Amino acid sequence: MNVFIRELKVNRYPLLAWSVGVVLLIYSGMLKFAGYQSSGQSINQILDQLPKSVQAILGLNVGIDLSSAKGFYAILFFYIILVATIHSSLLGAGIISKEERDRTSEFLFVKPIPRAKVLTAKLLAAFCNILVLNLVTLVSSVCLVAIYNKGASATHDIILLMAGMFFLQLIFLSLGAAIAGISIKPKGSASIASAILLFTFLLSIFIDFYSKLENLKYLTPFKYFDAKSVLTSGKLDPFYLVLSAIIAVVLVATTYLFYTKRDLDV
Amino acid sequence: MNIFWHELKQYRRSTIVWVLSLCFIVLFFLSLFPVFSKDVETVRKIFESYPVAVRDALNVQIDIFFTLNGFYLFIFTYILLTGSIQAANLGVGIISKEAAGKTFDFLLTKPITRTQLITRKIAAALTLLIVTNIVYLAAAVFTANTVSHGDFEMNIFILISLTLILVQLMFFTIGLFLSAVLPKIKSVVTVSLPLVFAFFIIGMLDSIFGNKVRYLTPFKFYDPAYIIKNGTIEFKFLLIEAIFIVIVTVAVYYLFNKKDISAAD
Amino acid sequence: MNVIETKKLTKYYGNARGIIDVTMSIEEGEIFGFIGPNGAGKSTTIRTLLGLIYPTSGSATIFGKDIIEAGPEIRQEIGYLPSEVFYYDDMKVIDLLNYSASFYKKNPQVINKRIGELADLLDLELRKKIDDLSYGNKKKVGIVQGLLHKPKLIILDEPTGGLDPLIQQKFFSLLKEENEKGASVLFSSHILSEVQRLCDRVAIIKEGKIIRVQKISELLENNYKRFKLDTATKVDKKFFANIKGIKDLSISDRSVNFLYRGQINDITQKIANLDLNNILIEDPNLEEIFLHYYQ
Repeated sequence: MNVFIRELKVNRYPLLAWSVGVVLLIYSGMLKFAGYQSSGQSINQILDQLPKSVQAILGLNVGIDLSSAKGFYAILFFYIILVATIHSSLLGAGIISKEERDRTSEFLFVKPIPRAKVLTAKLLAAFCNILVLNLVTLVSSVCLVAIYNKGASATHDIILLMAGMFFLQLIFLSLGAAIAGISIKPKGSASIASAILLFTFLLSIFIDFYSKLENLKYLTPFKYFDAKSVLTSGKLDPFYLVLSAIIAVVLVATTYLFYTKRDLDV
Repeated sequence: MNIFWHELKQYRRSTIVWVLSLCFIVLFFLSLFPVFSKDVETVRKIFESYPVAVRDALNVQIDIFFTLNGFYLFIFTYILLTGSIQAANLGVGIISKEAAGKTFDFLLTKPITRTQLITRKIAAALTLLIVTNIVYLAAAVFTANTVSHGDFEMNIFILISLTLILVQLMFFTIGLFLSAVLPKIKSVVTVSLPLVFAFFIIGMLDSIFGNKVRYLTPFKFYDPAYIIKNGTIEFKFLLIEAIFIVIVTVAVYYLFNKKDISAAD
Repeated sequence: MNVIETKKLTKYYGNARGIIDVTMSIEEGEIFGFIGPNGAGKSTTIRTLLGLIYPTSGSATIFGKDIIEAGPEIRQEIGYLPSEVFYYDDMKVIDLLNYSASFYKKNPQVINKRIGELADLLDLELRKKIDDLSYGNKKKVGIVQGLLHKPKLIILDEPTGGLDPLIQQKFFSLLKEENEKGASVLFSSHILSEVQRLCDRVAIIKEGKIIRVQKISELLENNYKRFKLDTATKVDKKFFANIKGIKDLSISDRSVNFLYRGQINDITQKIANLDLNNILIEDPNLEEIFLHYYQ
């Protein structure tokens, strides 16, 4: 499809930039780990004894073995997810709102193509983008962790974490798209999507601080597949898998419903 | 002056949202302090049993760690994060939105120099940031007082809180520079968000550069731990910031005066 | 057959009126003009027909098919030039035209040839970046983009804004050519001389409602002719007293001006009796006719 190919073309340099950013992030993180390895051992025992709230404050996700590459990566993962979700929400909001924002709707939507088809092409292109980012992260993580890893292979765990991240990317992508799809004036959709992202991010930190708020976990995707739970249980919690799928599906359906039925902001 | 008031009006709604957000964040996070201090006694005992070397490795001082200010130290990063996004948005957007909305032609053919235009916009943005900080400070002090039953060092608290505007000024300036340098900014948040989060992550990761990371990210310029310990900020960084802002601002004025302004021909 | 038919097409933006009960038909092969003051609803009507916005009530068909249900299908045969053209900055002219062409089911070679012809005719450089073009040149891109697939219906919203007079001429010849080959044209404009030259019929819209739909020829015929007479001596008012159809009579020492509607022979016979140095008989232009509607 022409719209699909065009969207892929337009996004290739930004995607490259984000990919480079992620790789740099992982690289500098693992370099830090290399320096940390020597003093790593004894600290773990100490840290484990601290109450959860203190551990959260110290920026340590509780229960992780900091002396292993795997454990360290788990901490790094928190920030990788932040980068990936920002990318997804900005992409989702942007790819849908750009025709109205840049005033090219009077060109594109007068063509003999149903709006739903345009939407499908754009969403597919965005999907490919987040998939590529995920794979780049996966491959560079596996490679870089392997370089510094002296213990057991972490590859399986990384794949698991990446799978979890992909669901998060899907959620925020569809969130951005839905906001742009619903808004009568989609220009502000990226801001709204970012605001929601920031809110859920802070909420996840807040929950880390105060363990009694565990039941608020549903409200923030950052807690669906967080490193600690995934690594200790060795799998992705099926409940959150289903929840993520439902959220993404509902948001995408909403996008279709509203985008095809509303007036375009001309 | 009309431009000044116009900008204030334009950003009124979003500024209110930012102010409220900052207040809510400080409210919710500080309200955790009572929970936190319950754990104090247990932790205190554990910590005292550690050799000094280990305590240092954790970069923690027992005394300050469990005061309100010590707690504030840890949550303040997130206040900084939120405030920085506000500032970056202002910096990136306040001039570039005229280009985006093609209103540059309208403004610049009025009897006003480009320098005057930029100055008034900057003045408006600064006013908004200052107002934000004043309201935030009030809310933060109020919350701190309530939550710790008045038992905290107010001066240090205020000093830490004042670093918010300092960091915001950095991001505002960087944002302005980006808007002068980048060709066409169609979406402000696509520039400001990655900008702020990039520096945020650099700060959080405390990377390979060791202590030098402090120079790389506005988030680490003013270390609350230092403030708590010494009662002042490190003037070295204030100086660096001042120099940085002056140089970049001059560059911004220069670039905008030189730039070709074109809308629809 | 009617190529466009609207039935009480109505669009409200919230509480603000867009168009109200717009009912009109445009016949196949016509060049149909659409005029009215700013904010009257011309663009709203066009955008509703094209499916960019949805009507609050009422309906319309193009080529006999409902504009909402059969939207994409209809648009295979529509070419549109909006009043303000915006395209993708990263594209060159030829990229945009090829991208545009890719949406239509017609033979690509035929389309490519057409692009070449049109670009030559309008003096449009295909290799330039769209971002670097002047407004007028961007409009040219719009024209080519709207015509390259040889659509059966051409819709233009204030098309000549930004075009230099030479290009305007070429553009009109282009439209006339397409029309002679069978295309219908809907054309909204402020420039009444153009409407007068090109259109067969015209609809006048004001404050969202259609005031009048009429043939251009009729509009011109049924109107007053302007008479300007240079006389040797001053003519007495009573001379014109019992002639019906005279309006705005003004007499000065050596001239007489008036507007006349009626039998030409009657008036010429009458003024043949005067001692004339010069005479000028003019058809009013559309401006004079329409300005009255604009008020």
